Amino acid sequence: MLPQFSYVRATSLDEALQHLGTDDARLCAGGSDLIGCLRDEVFECSKVVSLSGIEQLKGIDRIGHAGVRIGALTSIAEVASDPLVNRGFTALAQAAAAVASPQLRNQGTIGGNICQKPRCWYYRGEFHCLRKGGTTCYALAGENHFHAVLGGARCYFVHPSDTAPALIALGASARVTGSQGTRLVPMEEFYVPPSTDPQRETVLEPDELVSEITLPAPAPGLRSSYRKVRARGSWDFSLAGVALALQFDGDRVVAGRVVLSGAAPIPWRSAEAEAAITGQRLDETTARGAAEAAMQDAVALKRNGYKILLFKGVIEEELLKLTQV
Amino acid sequence: MRDERDRLYWIEGDVPHAPAPDQGPDPWGETKVVGTKRPRVDGYERVSGTAVYPSDLTLPHMLYGAILRCPHAHARVNGVNTTAAEKMPGVRAVLSGFTPDDAATAPHSGFIRTRLFNPECRYEGETVAAVAAETPYQAWDAVRAIRADYEVLPFVSDERRALDADAPKVQDEGNQVGDTQHYGRGDIEAGFAEADVILEQTYRTECEIHTPMEPHGCVTRWDGDALTVWESTQGVYNIQNTVAASLGMPLSKVRVIGHYMGGGFGAKLQPGRYTLIASLLAKRTARPVKLVLTREETCLAVGNRPPSNMWLKAGVKRDGTLTAFEYVGSGASGAYRAGGVSLLDWQVRDLYTCPNVRTELTNIYINAGPARPFRAPGHPQCSWALEQTMDALAEAIGMDPVELRLKNIPTFSQARDGRPYTTTGLRECLEEGAKAFGWSEARAATAADGDGHIKRGVGMAGALWGYGAGGPPCTVFVKVFADGSVNLNMGASDIGTGTKTVMAMVVAEELGVDPNSVQIDHADTGTTAYATASGGSKTVPTESPTVRSAALDAKRQILALAAEELEVDAASLTLENGKVVPADDTSQAKALSELRSLRRRRMITGVGHRGPNPADKVTCPFAAQFCEVEVNTKTGEVKVLRFVAAHDSGRVMNRLTYQNQVFGGITMGIGLGMTEERVLDGDQTGKMVNKNWHDYKLPTALDVPADMTCVPIDVPDPEANIAGAKGIGEPATIPTAAALANAIYDATGVRITETPASPLKVIQALTDAGKGA
Repeated sequence: MLPQFSYVRATSLDEALQHLGTDDARLCAGGSDLIGCLRDEVFECSKVVSLSGIEQLKGIDRIGHAGVRIGALTSIAEVASDPLVNRGFTALAQAAAAVASPQLRNQGTIGGNICQKPRCWYYRGEFHCLRKGGTTCYALAGENHFHAVLGGARCYFVHPSDTAPALIALGASARVTGSQGTRLVPMEEFYVPPSTDPQRETVLEPDELVSEITLPAPAPGLRSSYRKVRARGSWDFSLAGVALALQFDGDRVVAGRVVLSGAAPIPWRSAEAEAAITGQRLDETTARGAAEAAMQDAVALKRNGYKILLFKGVIEEELLKLTQV
Repeated sequence: MRDERDRLYWIEGDVPHAPAPDQGPDPWGETKVVGTKRPRVDGYERVSGTAVYPSDLTLPHMLYGAILRCPHAHARVNGVNTTAAEKMPGVRAVLSGFTPDDAATAPHSGFIRTRLFNPECRYEGETVAAVAAETPYQAWDAVRAIRADYEVLPFVSDERRALDADAPKVQDEGNQVGDTQHYGRGDIEAGFAEADVILEQTYRTECEIHTPMEPHGCVTRWDGDALTVWESTQGVYNIQNTVAASLGMPLSKVRVIGHYMGGGFGAKLQPGRYTLIASLLAKRTARPVKLVLTREETCLAVGNRPPSNMWLKAGVKRDGTLTAFEYVGSGASGAYRAGGVSLLDWQVRDLYTCPNVRTELTNIYINAGPARPFRAPGHPQCSWALEQTMDALAEAIGMDPVELRLKNIPTFSQARDGRPYTTTGLRECLEEGAKAFGWSEARAATAADGDGHIKRGVGMAGALWGYGAGGPPCTVFVKVFADGSVNLNMGASDIGTGTKTVMAMVVAEELGVDPNSVQIDHADTGTTAYATASGGSKTVPTESPTVRSAALDAKRQILALAAEELEVDAASLTLENGKVVPADDTSQAKALSELRSLRRRRMITGVGHRGPNPADKVTCPFAAQFCEVEVNTKTGEVKVLRFVAAHDSGRVMNRLTYQNQVFGGITMGIGLGMTEERVLDGDQTGKMVNKNWHDYKLPTALDVPADMTCVPIDVPDPEANIAGAKGIGEPATIPTAAALANAIYDATGVRITETPASPLKVIQALTDAGKGA
């Protein structure tokens, strides 16, 4: 049962930002993550500021000759089915389609999806963990089936977003708007690893929000994809996933990004995997080499060693699939 | 065998029966309604949302209850401060172990009783205090304001460690529940000595939560010294019995109503402490109280299928003759005495012919919520072990797995003193299932799988459900009104399986009316006669013969009246479309509403009692399921492509609801086999970390194949009862998980011996075996 809070439905960005500055105010875009957090009492919240009345935050438009702007309040379902997104940014369309369930894709927004709170059953449960201001990460010595094999430091959740790895792979940026103005943050620099601050997930200041996402025009020869392995067919986060955006010249990869979901507390760009394929002809040997390279620094906790095997399998499989596009 | 099941499902001894023994009607020959495909008589109400479930019920002046539960796996409650909570807006009552209302006790299994608010909480979720307030939000705000002083105690959450000498004690008697149970027949050593192949293997199935759509809950209201409880339950009389005993009331003063309910699977065969708490809150406030549990509470406190640890050693001759089974099982009762190993050896004891069997079962306390019966207690777990072993034996002697099973079909129950079965449809299940599946062709095709990393495999498993015969006591009334319309009055609950629909069809068959026109009053201790709870796959074989008896009793009375009025022999009359029809002159048909004698009487009441089961025979449903899977050997992902389920449950009463049960059983079996697992934080707090529907992974529509085929072996069992029907609900889920594991083995050559076969387990097992791509 939800604890008490007051509710404001802002009609403009300025109004929303004003409320955001007050104590314990929380933004509600689609609410699919927020309501769960409130119900589970993950954090204090005295005021919920709904964005649903702000029309300028919705919709997908072309920018320049082939770039795309996606309003932060655009539903995941719209992103998944949008023709512009599907034409140039396959990885994003596939990632959006892989999110949760049809109901949640209708309700959830792209802005909310990249700003999700951690999906760790200790963080969401009745455990006063490090990220909630406690002193311990319960996952480290506990039931860590679904936790990080890369990038963990004091806190070991895995970032839950499917769209974020695809956006990073595609070189997207987030427009961050606050009372002091706006700034454009490359998605790759949007997330804060626990080694920097274990109680913060993004670079957003308390009075800031993501207003839109921009995707640059795809480079010539760009092929992209996203796939995640999950424990069941729908309504499930990534056990091991990979977003690929590779620029091909014939059968050779000239540039590209490999970004993992379900691996680390932030969407994990694998420089090692990218190095293993850049300048190479992509075949079974290079694909396997890249998969191995992606996991070379991975460290298994007590119950998640399977993830390293899974990542190797899914990275190799997806790299080879891109050669057949 | 006598255990909890007998108590919950039926009672042995003398009971009234009508018709008298040996004077019953002939079995049905050709039927007009029974056996057809009939949509639910209450389908519109359920789908449109007009059906009122207990959680929908709103009464005037009703309060809402909420419960403070112990957040620790094991703790002593040294005090509960409710001062702040009592002063909060809308709060009308607060109860705890430190208020005077804790007189009631809450039976856990009939063997022991505990206080309603136990000062020593032995599992996470044990009740500590409760509130009634004007709104649910006020109730929960007040629960948050209660300050309980917990002294956290050491816990043990894994039954595999609970019998260690240094394990914390869950109960004063120690962590073993009673004595280890032993069963044996034949000479086990001689059996193994004559075997050509002996295999042994350990298996484990994880703990599952029942997760019904509608959480457990009730609405309670006092009228003077009488209590009415609207409970989401499988059996109103079970609730009445426990509530009356716990509150020290006569049965007659406790009325329990359970019309619609949103699923139970065994977890709603009994009330919870919440039922008693709601009753006491309602008494204290003199207001009705609704208390519906949260999803989290249902994960912790109202039952589970316990985890099972199994070791099976089996011997077979080269010709496929089974020579010996030796089986050791253990399971977790939870923090109180419950069925941690109920029927956990039954498949090994009785499914296949084997003269030499020894089994041993140990029930173990842990600091977690007590187990409750869960759709075929013990059977799917034992099937996971037995049917994988059968598969391995078949491979070891170079025999087709279906052939090996066909060689060992029993015609009598070896575990029940050799009493013969009324019918044994196992052979038909195996043969017709294999034929519908295309078993031989599919086996050949998967054996010829190419080099790709996606591998196909097929698997199968047989099963029997050790119960499913039904039995007395049960009494039903069929009322025929002066206008010929019909009312069926029965105590049984329709737990979503279609009981009401099937029973309306039985009435329609005998009285010649449209099933949809039969008004049904049911599941109300105030207005219906006694019925056992709907569980054990016994509702159809218990209720349908009883309803048939009642309908026949009404029919006999009507035809007697009509015969007198028409001056013909009653034997020459039939009932069709609301008319009495003389067989020799159908033009003389007379509407029931035109019968003068019926108009004078205003009502004919037919009474039916469930007769006894045949004394020297055993009635069980049998099954065989077949499936095909695709395994990605790079990722451990298993895709279930298709299922064929052949079931012998006697006469098929309604082909639609039957098929519904089978598809639901397969879905649930996929959950056991591939996705579901309760996770306790065993090394730190003992708390359940996945007590919600996201982290506790039920299969979704995408995990269940679109290609499912139900193959009913529609052979009536006339000796079993006068409807010829056996149960289907539970057998439908018994062999599913094992069939999946066998298919994964066929695809990859790797045995998954521990559930769930998720990518986590499969990729690890493939890699360990050097079979990953």
